[in-house]
Amino acid sequence: MRYEAILWLLILVPALTGGLTLQLSSARAVLRALCVGVGITVALGWYVAGEVLMSGPVSAGAEWLYLDALSAYNLAVMLLIYGLCSAYAAVYFGVELREGRLTLRQARQFASLWCGALAAMTLVFISNNLGIMWVGIEATTLLTGFLICVHVTRESLEAMWKYILICSVGVAFAFMGTLLVGASTHGLGLRAPEVLLWTRLHAHAALLNPVWLKAAFVFLLVGYGTKAGLAPMHNWLPDAHSQAPAPVSALFSGFMLNTALYCVMRYVPLVEAGTGNTGWGLRLLIGFGLFSILVAAAFIVFQHDLKRLLAYHSVEHIGIITLGVGLGGLGTFAALFHTLNHSLCKTLAFFAAGRLGQTFGTHDMHRLSGAMRVAPAWGMGLFGSLLALIGVAPFALFMSELQILKAAMDGKAILALVLFLFGAGVVFVGALGHAIPLAWGKAGPVTRPDRVGILESLLVVVPLGLLLGLGLWMPGPMQTALNAAADIIRHTGSALASSSGGAVQ
Amino acid sequence: MNAISFIPLLLALVLSPLLFGVINRTKAFFAGRHGQPLLQLYFDLWKLLRKGAVYSRTTTWIFRAGPVLGLAAALVAAALMPLGNFPALIAFPADFLLFAGLLGLMRFCTVVAALDTGSSFEGMGASREVFFSALAEPALFIALVTLARQAGQLSLSTMFGPLSDAHWLDSGPVLALVIIALMIVLLAENARIPVDDPNTHLELTMIHEVMVLDHSGPDFAFILYSTGLKLWLFAALIVGMVVPPTDSVWLDLLLATGGVFVIAVIVGVIESIMARLRLVVVPQLLVGAGVLAAMAFLLELTLKIHNPS
Amino acid sequence: MTTNLILVLVVLTNLKLLGSSRLGASIRMVALQGMVLGLLPVLAHLQNLSVHFVLLSLGTIALKGIVFPWLLFRAVREAEVAREIEPYVGYVASLVAGVLALGVSFGMCARLTMPENIASPWLAPVALFSIFAGLFLIVARKRALNQVLGFLVLENGIYTFGVGIVAETPFLVELGVLLDVFVAVFVMGIAVYHINREFDHIETDRLDRLKG
Repeated sequence: MRYEAILWLLILVPALTGGLTLQLSSARAVLRALCVGVGITVALGWYVAGEVLMSGPVSAGAEWLYLDALSAYNLAVMLLIYGLCSAYAAVYFGVELREGRLTLRQARQFASLWCGALAAMTLVFISNNLGIMWVGIEATTLLTGFLICVHVTRESLEAMWKYILICSVGVAFAFMGTLLVGASTHGLGLRAPEVLLWTRLHAHAALLNPVWLKAAFVFLLVGYGTKAGLAPMHNWLPDAHSQAPAPVSALFSGFMLNTALYCVMRYVPLVEAGTGNTGWGLRLLIGFGLFSILVAAAFIVFQHDLKRLLAYHSVEHIGIITLGVGLGGLGTFAALFHTLNHSLCKTLAFFAAGRLGQTFGTHDMHRLSGAMRVAPAWGMGLFGSLLALIGVAPFALFMSELQILKAAMDGKAILALVLFLFGAGVVFVGALGHAIPLAWGKAGPVTRPDRVGILESLLVVVPLGLLLGLGLWMPGPMQTALNAAADIIRHTGSALASSSGGAVQ
Repeated sequence: MNAISFIPLLLALVLSPLLFGVINRTKAFFAGRHGQPLLQLYFDLWKLLRKGAVYSRTTTWIFRAGPVLGLAAALVAAALMPLGNFPALIAFPADFLLFAGLLGLMRFCTVVAALDTGSSFEGMGASREVFFSALAEPALFIALVTLARQAGQLSLSTMFGPLSDAHWLDSGPVLALVIIALMIVLLAENARIPVDDPNTHLELTMIHEVMVLDHSGPDFAFILYSTGLKLWLFAALIVGMVVPPTDSVWLDLLLATGGVFVIAVIVGVIESIMARLRLVVVPQLLVGAGVLAAMAFLLELTLKIHNPS
Repeated sequence: MTTNLILVLVVLTNLKLLGSSRLGASIRMVALQGMVLGLLPVLAHLQNLSVHFVLLSLGTIALKGIVFPWLLFRAVREAEVAREIEPYVGYVASLVAGVLALGVSFGMCARLTMPENIASPWLAPVALFSIFAGLFLIVARKRALNQVLGFLVLENGIYTFGVGIVAETPFLVELGVLLDVFVAVFVMGIAVYHINREFDHIETDRLDRLKG
């Protein structure tokens, strides 16, 4: 019984915290309240997620709230990232506060929208009703829009406008897809409140109308794909990520893209079962994934702004995750593993980029050079995360990408394999070409000396350590959890599903 | 070809000059004047026919042939148009294509005669006229095709018969859109406001008037008459769609003739309450008419697929 | 029959939006479209009318017919937009594109099997056409407010589809959707205000500092 209550609390606590921060009268208090509120939510969320991953799904609110292995895993990862980002936000904005560059109004705006976004993202994960899931995604779009322009400048306004418009259109498409899924249940005799419940749809997936379902999946992929940053709908990504303050960029890359991709993943088993397990939907996913990887690779080579570079890396990794889900089998397992790895790595990278940006006063990579000499802690963080991002062993990202390659070979998707390797290769060369001068180049001009406290060191060491550790060894419970989550995507009642999902040792 | 199919042609030939009188009287009424006599155009035609013609030295036989050919085309087109429930003199499947072609031929004759004079005003008028007609033609064709599909018949004489009250109930929007499109085409093809001002005295603003500036005497009479005939034919086309068939054929004929004059009154009203559109805006209006006709056609297609009745 | 009339009105308003250049007229067209569509839930489900549908109708009409135009006109006043500017795609070309989109929508929907109790065979094509028209307006217009109108038309198309064809969406979801659209328009209005204050214009083609 108490788990149901916790599910409700997961939404209420962030919402209340957001409201509270609007009342506080000092920016420092606002940031502290933010951390406390997020901390409570993280603790509650991990508690319930752990329970689900060990004993099975939990539901509440007449089945409108529902947490199974897939959503529990994603929830746990999101809360981890949110916690890290909130701690970082306290640090980052602490620096700005010390210099008087953050007003109370901006702090309140930031904190309330931050907590609101947390509540909305949690809603996406714990809702069983696909329509409410959509409402959550739309709410995250609107709430995070103004997070981009906490500091109002021309560029941030332009980025915010593009973001709001493109993502709203994308999410509108996703709603059309949701409606079409509802339309495909005609003839099944489902009662009105049950039409969009995922558990019901999953139970009757084979009976859904294939034509409507295919149309629905196209709309859903394009719609949620816009929010996730799949090419060619990714145009808002580089602008939004580069113009937002670093904590917000970290959150975007670290978790919001994954939330949108989670929504697509929810529909994959339905579409597969509904279209007779022909792999039609999976092929679409592979296509979009590969296209994203190649487009991102092309743009990475020519970047000169650090945060834009990281943003294109996000596009590439979202493409890799999509490719993994599309390949099925081991690929699904690897894709879910990759969401954790990418989130950790990208948040660390943005943390470093943000602090280095504050130190150097700019994000231009020509001027932001020699970071290791000037700011050793964050310089190491940046270089380490860039190495991990391009897939250097033995970081965890290397492992998950290797598993995806193996899945491609198992599934005889040779063209996908070749294109993926080509894209990854281009990214490797391009990003390394940027990373080495960043770390060891001639030390650029510094506008603010770097004072690194315990908290900041922890923020660098913990993610890097996790990435290194997960790359070398995956704990048993985690493997079980990932398998359970992947099974939800893979389970379509055919022999193709439930193949081995073991980790590569 | 029996005797009664001469009646639509006869009515067209006799009554078409009256249309202009009605239009002018309506405009005068709105302006608070008494206006010209209703039969003014008949008097004008009679006067012109008795006059001699003056031909410029720069013109050739084309200039002399233009009005005559135009009148011939108009007369044949009049033989194709039914009125009320009376079939036309000449009727065969897809005769509406010939109808549009003859109207096009009429326009061609006027344009070519205008170009033959070598005057820049006529040339300017000719180019405008042709441009606007090029935009209005698709609207006309699509509207006619929609009508044909709606009625399931390919000849003008039989197209209007099946349109009854039931049709209006079922596919009212489609027919309404076709009528609006055809009305705009009528205004464009007959050089009325809002496309062209028939009362303007400034050559630079004229479209149709300036093309016939150099004709005189019987040539001008032919041109005036064929213009009136063209207006009658378009009005008859629209009336055929609107007037519901009744039990008595003579009542139908009466209603149809009355309808044609009602359309003349409507044209007069439009001329009185609107100003002419700027020349750059006219293409938008005409494309709009084409779009409405296309919309009607698409709606019609879906209707037929769903209720094949 | 009235459903047919409503759908034709919707298409006509879309076409007028595609061919029109004046902002005030465009906002009024979108408001008219919204109000007309607000009648759809009641008309599409005349057989099984319930309080739910009537409330939805009233809410939609109030929101789309009154609140949105008010918000948008306020944004227009703040932005002090007076001039008409050349869009990316001219008005005549937009109209032709609109008709082509209409044709494509009809063609595509001919392949889908509709539920038997649908109120009119034109529902799905008109909904799809509204979606295309909205997308076209967003892409082809430079002024930010015109893009917001395009977004509203897009949402109208989706709404038409939802109400007419998927009769069984839960009430709460529809409310959530309406609320989201309201907030979206509100947010966009604020964004336009900020953009105008910072840039002194709201032409998005001049927002081009972020490239590459």
